[in-house]
Parts: sequence; structure tokens; C-alpha cells
Amino acid sequence: MTRNVNRIIGLILALLATGYLLLSYQLPTYDYIPVDADVIPKALGWLLLILSVALFFSKDQDSEEQKAKRHVAKKDVKAMAGVFGITLIYIMLLEVVGFIVMTSIFVFFCSLFLGYRQHVVNAIVSISFPIFIYSIFVFLLNINLPQGILPL
Amino acid sequence: MGSLEEILTGFQVAISLEGIMFVLLGVFVGTFIGMLPGLGPITAIAIMIPITYGMDPALALVMMAGVYYGAVFGGSTSSILLNAPGISGTVASSFDGYPMAQNGQAGKALAIAAISSFIGGTISVVLLMAFAPMLSSVAVSFGPPAYFALMLLGLTAIASLSEGSTLKALISAVVGFMVATIGIDPQTGTARFDFGVPRLLDGIDFLVIALGLFAISEVGYLVINRFKASFASAKELGSLKLSKQDLKDISGPAGRQSILGFILGILPGAGATIASFIGYISEKRISKNPEKFGKGYIKGLAGPETANNAATSGSFVPLLSLGIPGSGTTAVMLGAFLVLGIQPGPMLMGDHPDVFWGVIASMYIGNIFLLVLNLPLIPYIARVLTTPRPLLISLVMMFSLIGVYSISFSTFDLYLLLGFGVLGFLMRMFAFPAPPFILAFILGGMMEQSFRQAMTSSQGNLSVFFTNNISLALIILSVLSFAFPIIQSMRQKKKQA
Repeated sequence: MTRNVNRIIGLILALLATGYLLLSYQLPTYDYIPVDADVIPKALGWLLLILSVALFFSKDQDSEEQKAKRHVAKKDVKAMAGVFGITLIYIMLLEVVGFIVMTSIFVFFCSLFLGYRQHVVNAIVSISFPIFIYSIFVFLLNINLPQGILPL
Repeated sequence: MGSLEEILTGFQVAISLEGIMFVLLGVFVGTFIGMLPGLGPITAIAIMIPITYGMDPALALVMMAGVYYGAVFGGSTSSILLNAPGISGTVASSFDGYPMAQNGQAGKALAIAAISSFIGGTISVVLLMAFAPMLSSVAVSFGPPAYFALMLLGLTAIASLSEGSTLKALISAVVGFMVATIGIDPQTGTARFDFGVPRLLDGIDFLVIALGLFAISEVGYLVINRFKASFASAKELGSLKLSKQDLKDISGPAGRQSILGFILGILPGAGATIASFIGYISEKRISKNPEKFGKGYIKGLAGPETANNAATSGSFVPLLSLGIPGSGTTAVMLGAFLVLGIQPGPMLMGDHPDVFWGVIASMYIGNIFLLVLNLPLIPYIARVLTTPRPLLISLVMMFSLIGVYSISFSTFDLYLLLGFGVLGFLMRMFAFPAPPFILAFILGGMMEQSFRQAMTSSQGNLSVFFTNNISLALIILSVLSFAFPIIQSMRQKKKQA
């Protein structure tokens, strides 16, 4: 089983290296330049290909602790996927809805989703932090964050 | 050493009212973030970078240096109280620090950590003042071949010294270098690997990589451990007072490890983690009572705590005088310099004495702050450890997202951030170390430039790297640093056979 892990990763890396090499060989080159823009990428691509082959055939050296890290319970995978999904929605709507509103919603629902049940504290934190940060960025640092639907 | 006038300029920056305020802010924020589980100096520095926009570079960097050693200091607090080190540099502090906390001496352990950190930090700054200018004056004569070789050594050293498999560390470095090649090539203007996305023409911002690989990937592990009991209360710390005997016990390890840690910090690839482990092991080896180590022995805590702080100052030597970071953390620190338009390196001392000496001078003040202000405040700051995990996860995500958005104003970069977060999580899951990745990413562009400059000057002849004495010596060292772990593993196999 442990050998399989290295084999699979080795294969993925070899594919990555091949793709990268294909693109490197398409880079335009010019005359009279001793080392053009394609040289380093080609070298890196070949190097990764060699290393991925080495990984494919290498024995696993991981400690027991490291192996234990690989076992992620199903409910944790779900929780992670949830956080990932909430973040995706946040990114998609950030510029439309605006920083303060969207970030408040994000912090509140992300914490709620992960099992935080003190709703009052959650509401206070998720409203006050974004306002505080918005003020620092916009008024102190003159960095404009998306204002969105709020008439600020 | 620089002229007295230049050094005084540095102290002027550091002890001005603004200077003191920013040092204070830096060490405070650093302690705060460093204390949080899984978050270390890399995340702390990366999160603070957007805030430095438009600031005076000297003051901004004084603050960032404070964030760095503040985070190292904060990391030891969670090592001692929770046995959950914020960063790998403070793992060794938990060996004796956590048993002390369990014996009801948490306050004492924190005080020992603070005092040893202070001694390590202060002695090593004196050494930094002496060594950084010396190395700068030597490095002025370095040409592109020597620079290329030096960066190569940095990469091979970090790969061979990383935890776990050297092969995986090398792969991590090569992929990091590959990511660095994305964007327009500055020498020929050729667009590389941009996949037709205009945002990629400028290359990927290093903040996306730093926060993705370190902060967002940590969120994954925080999610898995979201029900783990957090620190119950800061009330049971016990007294912070130390006896005369305690101070006497600290003095030995603190003196030795200040110097050893500093030297290890200078070396490429080593840094705080290795310094603290070697600090612990060497103290145990020379001790008259090695059996006491691991059971809450003062010297077992003072050793690594001194060493990791001394190594932090040591790592500033190559950063300030060569412009070449030797570790993941100093690589992100280099990024902070570049964002402010300051290029560290041999010219820094002459061109920006206020930055060069200001950062060094501020470390004296920062270390004093850590001792006299942060130590008494620890019981209060430690309350951050009582933050419920779900809330902590949301806030870490929020800070990372804002950090990236506020410097790029592009949601595309946020998707990239999320992508690198997933990559970072998978890398940790399969034991691919992330520091070689970030170091290669930051050094990649510089390495390619110096390689091509060297090759252009020699009209495409590779021998330019071997005819220059400095670059030849550095290349031999990189080959050796690379060969060392291979020989070691072969020896082990022989022993087993």
C-alpha cells in the first residue's frame, strides 16, 4: 500500500513534468542569446521527470506519525469540503456584495458550520472584525476594499 | 563594521517614537499569531505585509523583524502550555517545557523561556552587528556566477536538511522553481506558462504562495482537530518568579546556545528548527544529569529556547548582507523587503543605512519588549489560546483572503490562494516539506537571472562557474550538502544489513 502511494504521486509528477516540458519546448527562442527563456524551464522539466521516476521506484520512508496523518475521517473530509465551498462562494460574491457584508456572513456561517454554537459571540465577532479591518485598510492605509451594497 | 554615524542613524530610527511604536506593534502581533496552533512566523509576516504598504520602509521592516522574533517567542508559549508548538522551531521547547507546565510550573517555564529568548536574542544581535557588515564587504565583489552558486547552495542545503525524505524535499523545490517561471521573462519579454490568463503575466504573487502553503493548508488540519480541547484557562499558570538558582541554571545553556544558535542560523538551510534541536541535544550531552532532561528540567528548556532566538538573528546575516534567504521564513521576509522596494544585499548597508542598521538596532529594543512587556502580559495573551477552533478557522481564512486581496485586488488571486492551500495540505499529508518550495519560488527568478547573466558574460560557456574560486567552492559545497544525506542513508542500510 505504502509503495502504491509513491507510485501514484510519482506518476502524477511525471505527467506534470511532461506537460511542463511540452510547453517549454514551444517557447520561442531568439538568435544570439546564449541562454534563452526556454533553457531553465527545460532543465527543470527534465529534472522533475527524473525525480518523479526516482520517487516511483523509491521505498516509503515515512514515520508512523506521518502515515497516521494520511487517514482523514469521512466527516472531516466533509467539513473541509464545506469550508472550501463557503470560501468559493465568498470569493465569487466579494466584489458584488462588498467586503463588510460578505466577510461578516463568511465568518458567521463558517464558524456555525464548523459547530460553533454561541450565536451571540459569533455575531459580535463576525460583525466587529470586518468593520475593524475595513476601517484600518480604508481610512488608515488608504487601501480601498470593495464597498459593495453598503452606502459607506 | 559601518561608520559610527551610520550605526547611530539606525538607532535613531529604532528609538524614535514611531520606531518604538512599530517595534512594539510588531512583537505584539507576532507573539499573538505565533501562539496560535499551527501558525508561525511565515504566516505572521505574510499577513502583516499588506499593512506595510506606503509605510516608511525602515519603520515597516523594523516592525516586520519584530513580527518575526515575536512569533518565535509566541510559538514557545503554545509549546509549553499545550504541547502543541505553533512552529517547528519551538518543538524542542516542549520536551521540558510541557512537563514543567504539567507540574504546575507553567509560569516559571514561560519566564525561563522569555529570559533565555532574551539572552539568545540580545547576544546574537551583537554578533549580527559584527558579522553582517563583514559579510557585506566580502559580498560586494560577488559576480553573477558566485550569486548563482550561493543560491544553489541555499536550495540544496534546505532540501537535504528538511525533515523526512530528501527526494521529496528536492521535488518540492523543483516544483517551487517551476511556479516561479510563470509570467513574462524579464530578459527577453517572452510570456511563459501564462495559459492565456492576463493575471499570470506578472507571475504569481509570493503572498499567494506563502499564505496558501502555510496558513490555508493549516486550516485543513485545524478542521480535522476542531473538537480538540483548547486551552482551558489562563489562570492556572502559577508564579512567574524565578529563584537565584534557576537563573544560575539558565546562564550556562544561554551563553553557549546563543553562539551556537547564531552560527546555525547563518548557515543556509539550518535556521531555528535545527538550532533548537541541536541546542537541546548538545545541552543533554554535556550535562552531568542527562536523565533529568525530558522531565521538566530547566536547562532542557533554556537550551533550545536560547538557540532558536539566536538562530533568528543569525538568519538575518545572509538576508541583509547577501540578499539571499537561507530558510522559508527569511524567504518570506525577503518578500517583505521587496514589496517595500528595498533590495537587501551587499549594497544595502551603503544605500539604506537607516534600514540596515535600523532593523538591527530595533532588535535590541524588541527583545527588551518581549521580556518586560510580553512576559507579564502572557496570562492575558494566552487567552487567545481559549479561542474556540471554529472561530479561529474562520478568522485565519479571513485574514489570509484579505491579505491577498488587498495587494492584488483580484479575485483570481483568491482562487489561486485556495488552490495553493489545497496543494499545501496535500503536501503535508504526503510529507513533502513546504519550506523548500517557498525558498525555491522566491530564489527561482533571481537564480535564473544570475545564471543567464553569468552565461551571457561568458558567451554561453558553463566553465564560468568553475573558474571563479568563490563559485567553485560554493558549488562543491552544494554537491556535498546533497551527497551527505545519501551517504548517511547508505551507511544506515549497511548497518542494518
